[in-house]
Amino acid sequence: MFKQVKGDENMARVFLKNVVKKFGKVVAVNNVTLEVKDKEFMVLLGPSGCGKSTTLRLIAGLETPDEGEIWIGNRLVNEIDPTKRNVAMVFQSYALYPHMTVYRNIEFPLKMARVPKEERRRKVIEVARFLGIEDLLNRYPKQLSGGQQQRVALARAIVREPEVFLLDEPLSNLDAKLRVKMRFELRRLLHDELQTTTIYVTHDQVEAMTMADRIAVMNAGKIMQVGSPIDVFEKPANIFVAGFIGVPPMNFFEGTLIEKQNNLLLDLGSILFRIPKTYYSTLHPHVGSEIVMGIRPQDIKVALEPQEGSYEGKIVGYEPLGTETYIHFTINGIKEYVAVIPRGMRISLKQKVYWKPNLQKLYFFRKSTGEAIY
Amino acid sequence: MRPSLKLTKMGWIALTYFVLSLFAFIYLSPFIRSFVASFMTWEQASKYPPEWIPNPFTLENYMKLFRLELFPRWIFNTALYAGLIVVGNIVFSSMAGYAFARLKFPGRDALFSALLALLMIPIFVTLVPNYIIIYRLGLIDNIVGLALLSLANVPSTFLMRQYFLSLPQEVFDAARIDGCGPIKSFFYIGLPLAKPALGAVAVYQFLGAWNAFLGPLVFLRSPENFTLPVGLSFAFQRSMWTEYTPIIAGSLVAAAPTIVLFIALNKYLIKGIVVQAGKG
Ligand SMILES: Nc1ncnc2c1ncn2[C@@H]1O[C@H](COP(=O)(O)OP(=O)(O)OP(=O)(O)O)[C@@H](O)[C@H]1O
Ligand SMILES: [Mg+2]
Repeated sequence: MFKQVKGDENMARVFLKNVVKKFGKVVAVNNVTLEVKDKEFMVLLGPSGCGKSTTLRLIAGLETPDEGEIWIGNRLVNEIDPTKRNVAMVFQSYALYPHMTVYRNIEFPLKMARVPKEERRRKVIEVARFLGIEDLLNRYPKQLSGGQQQRVALARAIVREPEVFLLDEPLSNLDAKLRVKMRFELRRLLHDELQTTTIYVTHDQVEAMTMADRIAVMNAGKIMQVGSPIDVFEKPANIFVAGFIGVPPMNFFEGTLIEKQNNLLLDLGSILFRIPKTYYSTLHPHVGSEIVMGIRPQDIKVALEPQEGSYEGKIVGYEPLGTETYIHFTINGIKEYVAVIPRGMRISLKQKVYWKPNLQKLYFFRKSTGEAIY
Repeated sequence: MRPSLKLTKMGWIALTYFVLSLFAFIYLSPFIRSFVASFMTWEQASKYPPEWIPNPFTLENYMKLFRLELFPRWIFNTALYAGLIVVGNIVFSSMAGYAFARLKFPGRDALFSALLALLMIPIFVTLVPNYIIIYRLGLIDNIVGLALLSLANVPSTFLMRQYFLSLPQEVFDAARIDGCGPIKSFFYIGLPLAKPALGAVAVYQFLGAWNAFLGPLVFLRSPENFTLPVGLSFAFQRSMWTEYTPIIAGSLVAAAPTIVLFIALNKYLIKGIVVQAGKG
């Protein structure tokens, strides 16, 4: 082991290389390669059971990988005990020690690291002040609200000044309002003030979009895409990411790509969709194969009268949200699609509508692999 | 409709109370009888049909007991025996239970199953081998040697294991990241959190040891080393008294600590039962 040189680029980068973790027959983490840069706020986003927690626990050392390498800074940590990895973790349940006061909880990691008593005291009070929980130091965890417990868990993580913070759905036990407040607070604290490499797990895409420097989208143990929030939203790498990110989810239209008189058309069965010229060169190699076209609900304009380039549909349901309304419509009775319409537009069930996509905002994917073509 | 419904409900409650009281009385009656008889003369206590009011009221039975030279000695022996066993079980069963619940080592589950299988072996089977071991160690007729046999046992280990399993994994994970190896984790987190289970183990073991008869009978020889149950039975068999009332008084004195303990700590006993029933 060697001391790191200060100012080293790799100071607190976390690097997973072809990491595999199996639980019996379940492959929880499947050949994951991921680099989290020094001081970066990385969010692991994915549906329940996709292996986010397992990935985090692998980095913390609570699980050992079956294959692959895990690097923290310049150290290969596969064989290094969690106590020596210098990472701090905040658990979904906070995992405070129920038999210790808040003070003892925060002090505990320092005590284990044999920090002298006076210094421990100074640090605990400093961190408690920083997080606004000085008044709670003599209470026991069960005497705290969810939000307060959360701060104590954070304090316990921060007090050690770790190289890396690992947070596993830290906000999911809070009520909606507090969650929104803590979102900003956490990001400001961990990223802007402490400037520590952070890996944050969540299944909430809004959390991911608002907090992350970069998002790693996971599904079924695999990393689907890594990129900035704007990137994963604007340029999804595959159908999964496209469908997972964005509310309401993207509409998918499946069909065969055909060419007629130098025009590309998507045969959707009931209608022939004209694909604008801008996509011609990218899509041309796929003529004859099955592709999936994606359109975000926000990019569909709905009108009550036919217009140029619009298609007919029928409203089968709507969800008024106040600021806007989601409408569900079908095309010739098959499959349901969603569009967002401004509030104030008067619609009713079973009404005929004419929808028209924003032709600049179309996505195309290979049906066979789900990969993005455009 | 309403009032009659209420009435039926009250009827049920009354019936339940009646049945429960009846059972309580049936279970308690030998105890009540002993208590009353301990203040009677042997003459009155042996009358038929039995009388329930001591007349004349006498403390003579208790006096006889305390006049017995070895009586304090037996109490001391019993307390020593029970104390050693309680401490031994708290230390060893909690460690073993923790290891079975929280540590990963090869053969763990097989070993644990083997331990549970031990419960099916009647103690009479192990009595002779145990006797030989203690004999070879030169510890026959020695309270400490006898206690050695019970410093850890399967039910306590099982109870502790179940309790440790019921604690949230994330707390132990947090401790691990905060710098605890398995041993620190045990002393700083596991043990303090296991207080209720330790209380249950202590109470069970105390009751068991205080009332133990067979072990002390087999392994102890000289009267001054006897525990209370064996001592009282010894006194009875040697016909130190021709009367039963002092023995009844002696049993009550012997039972007193266990009764007090039970009343004071029965929430731990219940906790212990709940823990054991909780997880398989
Ligand atoms: N200790 C374990 N033993 C067996 N299987 C496990 C274990 N831990 C996780 N798994 C399995 O591994 C897969 C990934 O689990 P993981 O907890 O990493 O998911 P997650 O993405 O964190 O989900 P969630 O959002 O629900 O927390 C799941 O199928 C899960 O059942
Ligand atoms: Mg999880």
